[in-house]
Amino acid sequence: MTFEWIQIPYALLTIFIVLNYGLLMTALIAKIAARVGRRHGIPIWQNYADLVKNYGLRSSITHGVMFYMGPVFRLTGGVGLLLFVPTIYGSVMFSNLSFAGDLILALYFVFFGTLGMALGAAESGHPYSAIGITRGLSQVTMAELPLALAVFAVALHYQTLSITEIVAAQQGGFLNWTLFTNPLAVAAAMLAFLGSMMRPPFDVVLAPQEIPIGPPTEYHSSYLALMQTNRVLFPIAKIVVYMNLFFGGATSWPEFFIKVFLIYMVSVLVGVVFPRFRVEQSIRWFMIWAVPIGILAIVLA
Amino acid sequence: MVSAIYPLAAALASAFLLGLLHERQRAPAYAITLGVLGFMTLTAASWVWGFAQTGQAGFEIYTAGVAPPFAISLRLGLAEASLMLLINLTGLLSAIHLQAPLLAHGRRAMAVLLIAVMALGGLVMTRDLFNLFVFIELIVIATGGLVLLSDDPRAVVAGFKYLIISQLVTVFLLIGIIFAYHGTGTLNIDGMAMTTMGLASGGALAFFLMFIAVVIETKPFPANGWALDIYESAHPAFAAIFSAASAAAALFAVDKLLLIGGSDWLPIATGIGILSFVGANLLALPQTNDRRLLGYSSIAQTGLVLVVLGQRDLLGDHTLYVAGGLLLANAVAKAGLFWLSDLIPKREPAAWAALRHHPLALFAFATLLALLVGLPPFPSFYAKWDLVHPLADAGRLWLLGLILFGTLLEAGYLFRWFGYSLKREAPALTGSLVSPRFGVVLVAVAAAWLLALLWGELSVHDNLLLAVPLAFALAFLALDWLPARVKNALAITGLVAYFALTYTDYDPLRMIFAVIFLLGSALTMLAGFDVQGRRPGFYPSVMLMLAGLIMLIRATDSFAFFAAWEVLTIGSYFLILRGKRSEPHALSYLLFSFGGALAMLAGFALAAQGAPSIELVALAQVAESVAPWVFLLLAIGFMTKTAAIGLHIWLPGAHAEAELDVSPMVSGILLKAGLYGLMVLLLAMGTQRLAGVDLVDLLLWIGALTAFLGNLMAIFQEDAKRLLAYSSIGQMGYAIFGLALMNHLGWLMALMFVINHYIYKSMLFLAVGGVARRTGTRQMFLMGGLITLMPLSFIAVMIGIIAMSGVPPLSGFGGRWIFYNAILATDARLPIALIFLSGPIAFLYLFRLIHTIFLGQLKDEHRQVKEAPFWILLPQMIYVAILIVAALVPGLLLRHVDQYLTEFFPFGALNWEGLRITSDFGYWNPVAIMLTIGVIFMLLLSWLLFVNRRAQKVKQFNIVFSAERPYRPETTHFAWNFFAPYRKAMGFLVQPLVTRFWDLITQTLHGIGEMTRRIYNGNAQTYAFHLIGFVVVVFLLGPGGTA
Repeated sequence: MTFEWIQIPYALLTIFIVLNYGLLMTALIAKIAARVGRRHGIPIWQNYADLVKNYGLRSSITHGVMFYMGPVFRLTGGVGLLLFVPTIYGSVMFSNLSFAGDLILALYFVFFGTLGMALGAAESGHPYSAIGITRGLSQVTMAELPLALAVFAVALHYQTLSITEIVAAQQGGFLNWTLFTNPLAVAAAMLAFLGSMMRPPFDVVLAPQEIPIGPPTEYHSSYLALMQTNRVLFPIAKIVVYMNLFFGGATSWPEFFIKVFLIYMVSVLVGVVFPRFRVEQSIRWFMIWAVPIGILAIVLA
Repeated sequence: MVSAIYPLAAALASAFLLGLLHERQRAPAYAITLGVLGFMTLTAASWVWGFAQTGQAGFEIYTAGVAPPFAISLRLGLAEASLMLLINLTGLLSAIHLQAPLLAHGRRAMAVLLIAVMALGGLVMTRDLFNLFVFIELIVIATGGLVLLSDDPRAVVAGFKYLIISQLVTVFLLIGIIFAYHGTGTLNIDGMAMTTMGLASGGALAFFLMFIAVVIETKPFPANGWALDIYESAHPAFAAIFSAASAAAALFAVDKLLLIGGSDWLPIATGIGILSFVGANLLALPQTNDRRLLGYSSIAQTGLVLVVLGQRDLLGDHTLYVAGGLLLANAVAKAGLFWLSDLIPKREPAAWAALRHHPLALFAFATLLALLVGLPPFPSFYAKWDLVHPLADAGRLWLLGLILFGTLLEAGYLFRWFGYSLKREAPALTGSLVSPRFGVVLVAVAAAWLLALLWGELSVHDNLLLAVPLAFALAFLALDWLPARVKNALAITGLVAYFALTYTDYDPLRMIFAVIFLLGSALTMLAGFDVQGRRPGFYPSVMLMLAGLIMLIRATDSFAFFAAWEVLTIGSYFLILRGKRSEPHALSYLLFSFGGALAMLAGFALAAQGAPSIELVALAQVAESVAPWVFLLLAIGFMTKTAAIGLHIWLPGAHAEAELDVSPMVSGILLKAGLYGLMVLLLAMGTQRLAGVDLVDLLLWIGALTAFLGNLMAIFQEDAKRLLAYSSIGQMGYAIFGLALMNHLGWLMALMFVINHYIYKSMLFLAVGGVARRTGTRQMFLMGGLITLMPLSFIAVMIGIIAMSGVPPLSGFGGRWIFYNAILATDARLPIALIFLSGPIAFLYLFRLIHTIFLGQLKDEHRQVKEAPFWILLPQMIYVAILIVAALVPGLLLRHVDQYLTEFFPFGALNWEGLRITSDFGYWNPVAIMLTIGVIFMLLLSWLLFVNRRAQKVKQFNIVFSAERPYRPETTHFAWNFFAPYRKAMGFLVQPLVTRFWDLITQTLHGIGEMTRRIYNGNAQTYAFHLIGFVVVVFLLGPGGTA
């Protein structure tokens, strides 16, 4: 597959759909989580209001060049990840820019935003940002390990690194999904998933009570708007990777919406039940529970 | 040819003549002494020249005009002539050195000196047993007298002890001679050798007594306390004679006696020799007196020569070359060092720092030590190589191992000593360097280099001194007076020119290394233009290292390869030692490298199976019985250089403490030598199994563990350069892992690592070095917020860490992509989990590096800091450009390597279709990635800049801080113990177990040395007891035990 100019409007369309879906879905999820806590929760359109407000605000403050770059890196990471992975299987229109690279590109591009955000937040000079970053980085390195092992197991399983081919191999009934053909890999990956969604018990990175909101502490107005946009896009982009690798991908938008929502809900369900881990606790947790499953997955693959 | 009688007669006559002079006529007496010694030296030189030119065999000189047994005969051949030259020259130079004491003591002392030199010569030439005895007696008396030349009051006691011991020796020798004469009816050595004395009753005992008496003259461990006291207390110029000439003559006498004893006695000589070699080196470790240390070293070296004599059955005609190389090397080095010691004010080894500010004296010291240790291009290097090969072939592995172990011990204390001389507080020299006392040292240095040239010529291998890169490097010794910038320009020109001249010689694999070693180092050396002044000693060292590196990739046989390895090791050792606090780290580097080199030597020797060397490609044909061992030994050798886990403890200190522009070289360039070695090894030998273990699998595990632990240790460092150093350990682990995958893409990844690691590690070390230069610290938590003050350094570090962490779009991602494709094609699964974990961990320390230095809060003391100097930034910016180009068009270089690798690994090559690269499993389009990311990034950035166009940069402490305003950067910059949670969770993995292990080993060795040296309590009776005990034990263990 090579590049055609028409892919650009197609890609923009993907972003548009995912963005709107994300805004609504995250609000819905916030509402669900609130109801579990017997609160009423936000209105479903709240995210739109927040975003419009923040995009509308003008700031007269910056902390330097890298401070600018932080949100830019962040959103580039989110949009890029979304675009490097095909969204809808079998659709030329929504295969995005996946010709640029395979699964490995997706796996490593996840770090692009993290790195940029860490750099930007660090330039603000705020100690809470720095503390948030060390927590986040420490945790994510260990949380990513089971995912990497699972991805490797899946690649071994299908003998390819192309996401499209992996989705293709899972077509023809849900029993063909990796979930059923390679449950160990999926188990490891889903445990890793918990660690990357910034929900309890792995949300000490943002820890609102002790280090206000961690890395983004100093970000406001349009800076924050970019990051909020990413906060909607990026989890979905990650879930798309999960969906494609483990849950048979999506052949249409409705299927996409449902699968993304359900996968997202896994972390929500765990999150509303469990209290927060300290970082070293979560590192140990991943070491003890998730990593061995991942290792089993690759040894048995 | 001058008759051999004349020098002896001249010495004897003038010794008598001196007695006729008036006591006050000391100057003429001294002139006569020098004149006679000069004559003797010249005569000996003319003999050597004559024998060497004509190739004439040795001949007998009948003193009374008749053949033995009716008269005494002398023999003169090449060996005798050389030894005579050595003895007479040492005597002459020592006499020059001894000018003041000789003039003070007058003609008697001079006469004694003449007699001593004459008798030593006689001992070498005589073929008569009784005559041998007479000369030994003369030597004993003369030695006793000359010891008194010293001002040290202990010398009298030492001389007395020596006389007591000598009486015992005399008794043994005389009884032996009587019985031997009784049994054979002749006193002539050759005559006796022809009879079957061993069969006569008591013959073995008679020989034993003679043999042991002469052996004791070589001062074997442990029956040598008396000799050590002499070394310690005698005048150094006499100690020079005692070490260089006496030992040589005694060894030659032993060799003569072995002719009588025959092959039965060779193992005994070997046993005594190896015990001396290892024992004396072990005891030298804890020595605190330089001359005693030299004494131990002399004993050790004499022991080694005795081993060579004992291996005559293996070495055959080659014995002379091997023994001669070792003997002359030791003699010249010891004489030079003893002479030099006279200029040192105090007796502890650290006082040699007095040489620190005298480059010529330091050069002399370094030369003599290198000669002693047996580094290339000196004769002892050739000799050891030629000794070890037959030993390995004959299966005498214990002996081989002990020799190598002793050599390592020796290198340990000698180079520790050299480290002192450069790094310790420097006292003043006791004399001027413009004096005959230093002049004689320079003669020894000249002799060392001459011998190097000579032994190179005589060897069956290439003459190392004539290798162009080495000669070019050594030329910088002569140019050391030039300003550093001129030398830098010369060096860079030389490197580039050499590449231009030779680039057609390399296949793509070697080309990568040639580019890094020659052009890469030239690029790094641009930073050298920043240094003002002369920078003494830097250029010879760096060029020596680079010469070694380039000789390494040009080597086709094991000898050239090993010599290159030693050259690069020693060059880099000198280079690392230049750092301010690098003394212990440089030593630890040297010991690991040297130990690794000895393992390699053993490996090559095993592989060669009796041949003097082996073609590197012929490693593939090594017999199956030894192949796994060869593989193991060579791999250990190479892995000491790549700092694989367990052998890594030298690296952090060595790389961190090195100078600003040295760190990038020893990290970015030098480490690749080990990888190159592993590549050569794996290409030739492939997989090997030892005791059911696949060694390549083992390598895979070592690589994975190294990558994991190296990275993990890096995240806990507070020192920026140590962080980078640990990260190098991890990176090398990755490369080893890639090689051990033994598939196409694994190798491609390893090669990509070779290139990438060179670029980003050189860049990061330069950047961090520049920051450390400006801030005056390497502790990251003491820095912070430097981004606005040092923006270019920041950019270099940022690009470096993006590339290194493997985040797209920079070149590190390509490495990761190839890596994933490579592991998909392998069956090894478990180590992969470790490798997976080490990747994200690398991300942690990289972030820490950039955050704690450049981001966060600026410290008050750094508010005036300037950007790093131009010449340090320039190479960094070039590296940035290279990284970006490499990210866009990785095929530029990789494509050729990919094709080349198909020769060895036909399956799994990449497809290069236009901008797209595909493998069996996936695909990758660097340009598309770069464009996509670039466009999104630029769009968002422009928008953000546009909407915030009025934003002002606020002051440092203008942050949301619990309604407070912080005012101290120290309390606001979150940097120290940055990854505390990680330490809590994983800290148990980075306990310094390996360091403790190696510490324990060195402490144990020192402890054994310290404990054993207590047997030398200074009591003459004890020494006599040692001697008798030694004789009895040797007798019981030797033929006496079975008779």
